[in-house]
Amino acid sequence: MIQTPILKPGPRQDGPHPDHAAAGRPQPSAPVVRIENLVKRYGAYVALHEIGFELKSGEVVAIIGPSGSGKSTLLRCVNQLEQPDGGCITVAGQRFEGGKEHSRAALDTLRRTVGMVFQSFNLFPHMTILRNVSIAQERVAGRSRKDAEDRAMHLLARVGLADKAGQYPARCSGGQQQRIAIARALALDPQIMLFDEPTSALDPELGLEVLAVMRELAESGMTMIVVTHEMRFAENVSDRVVVMADGRVIEEGPSRELMRDPKTERTQRFLHAVRDR
Amino acid sequence: MEALTQLARGVPWTIALTLTSFLLGALLGLGLCALRLSSSRVLRALATGAVLLLRSVPPVVWLFIIFFGIGFGYVQLPSFLAAMLGLALITAANMAEIYRGALSGVHRGQTEAAIALGLSPRHRFQDIVGPQMIRIALPSAATFAIGLLKDTSVASLIGVQDVAFQVNALAQRSFSGTGIFVIAALLYIALSLPIAALARWTDLRLRAKVAR
Ligand SMILES: Nc1ncnc2c1ncn2[C@@H]1O[C@H](COP(=O)(O)OP(=O)(O)O)[C@@H](O)[C@H]1O
Ligand SMILES: [Mg+2]
Repeated sequence: MIQTPILKPGPRQDGPHPDHAAAGRPQPSAPVVRIENLVKRYGAYVALHEIGFELKSGEVVAIIGPSGSGKSTLLRCVNQLEQPDGGCITVAGQRFEGGKEHSRAALDTLRRTVGMVFQSFNLFPHMTILRNVSIAQERVAGRSRKDAEDRAMHLLARVGLADKAGQYPARCSGGQQQRIAIARALALDPQIMLFDEPTSALDPELGLEVLAVMRELAESGMTMIVVTHEMRFAENVSDRVVVMADGRVIEEGPSRELMRDPKTERTQRFLHAVRDR
Repeated sequence: MEALTQLARGVPWTIALTLTSFLLGALLGLGLCALRLSSSRVLRALATGAVLLLRSVPPVVWLFIIFFGIGFGYVQLPSFLAAMLGLALITAANMAEIYRGALSGVHRGQTEAAIALGLSPRHRFQDIVGPQMIRIALPSAATFAIGLLKDTSVASLIGVQDVAFQVNALAQRSFSGTGIFVIAALLYIALSLPIAALARWTDLRLRAKVAR
């Protein structure tokens, strides 16, 4: 049975998950994600120029920057939705070198370690909400239908949507859909969660309910990388902010410091532009 | 009256031929579609060539080729089998194109979400992309199936005793005037109605689930 409280403080400190132990779960404060000299090209166009940064276990990093600066590309490289052309990404002790093929097993482990939430939710429209959250547990983790559904119900309750379990995604508001997408991504007990502009497709008030779930998740100790235009989230919830422009990291630092007193002129301009909106 | 019972004797053959060739073709079409989208350039080219070839030769010519050509001398395929095979191949080519169009209608984000969840390629298709593809393909597939029902009439030319065969036989014995052709026409329409109804019903049922 799966009894792990998901959004409660001190996640999964109670005995290591067997799979994570096998993958060499890093000690707290050791980097759980390390990105070195990451390069990604689309044809001749260089989307990421030698990006580097690290993420410690339990840390929440916000990535901000103008549209087209490579934020999504960077995030998608972390779980190998995009194959980098150069550099190296280490996730939970497992190295993924750019320009190389990776074994099925390595990718499977990676995707169990890393959960992802998309801007457009991408719920499966032909499945009930319960099924959306339980399917991968059965197919990937090999849980029984009952265990998977118990766990799914538990997660849906945590995001406040247990009453929607039997319905189809189209019947839910955007905010509800995104909360379901978060529950779906949490269902395989990831160590790291990636969010790609999770509230950009939502009306502001619907965005708030999603941000509230994300804040709770952050407070529970989840390691998170969040691409966002929500400056308040970046400042108040994340530990660190990474600013990207033109495929490069142009500035990075503790959130409050960086948001209040950006060092580079480019970041200042960007923050002005966003805040004026 | 006697004419009617003779016509009715063709009905099971028409139904059987439509059903078997459609089901076989829909299945083969899935494989053909997969080949068309394969990463091997050779396989892709072969599949594209096969689709083009199958679709640009009229069904009746295919049936003659299969029935007289392949059966020539050594193996004589029974006419029903030959007709079924020919129509199934044509169905496969058409269904492959219908599937391909439907696949491009499934949002790319669906596959990405499935990959991010760690679903294997098989489960990505079986659980996520396949059902959505079929839902999109359904109306075109039904239209094709109704066309196929009518096309089965060419099987009468190689001796399958379907509705068209019986009409022809009756007409040659000058049993009745134009009346028999009208009845045959009504019969084909009647047979196509359940296909249209089934497609509509399934479509509505699926749509009800995904729509607001
Ligand atoms: N699949 C792709 N093919 C070609 N160019 C792409 C592709 N994906 C992204 N790009 C380009 O890479 C750059 C960075 O894109 P992206 O990472 O989506 O930016 P952001 O998320 O910061 O808005 C953009 O200029 C975009 O046009
Ligand atoms: Mg983006």
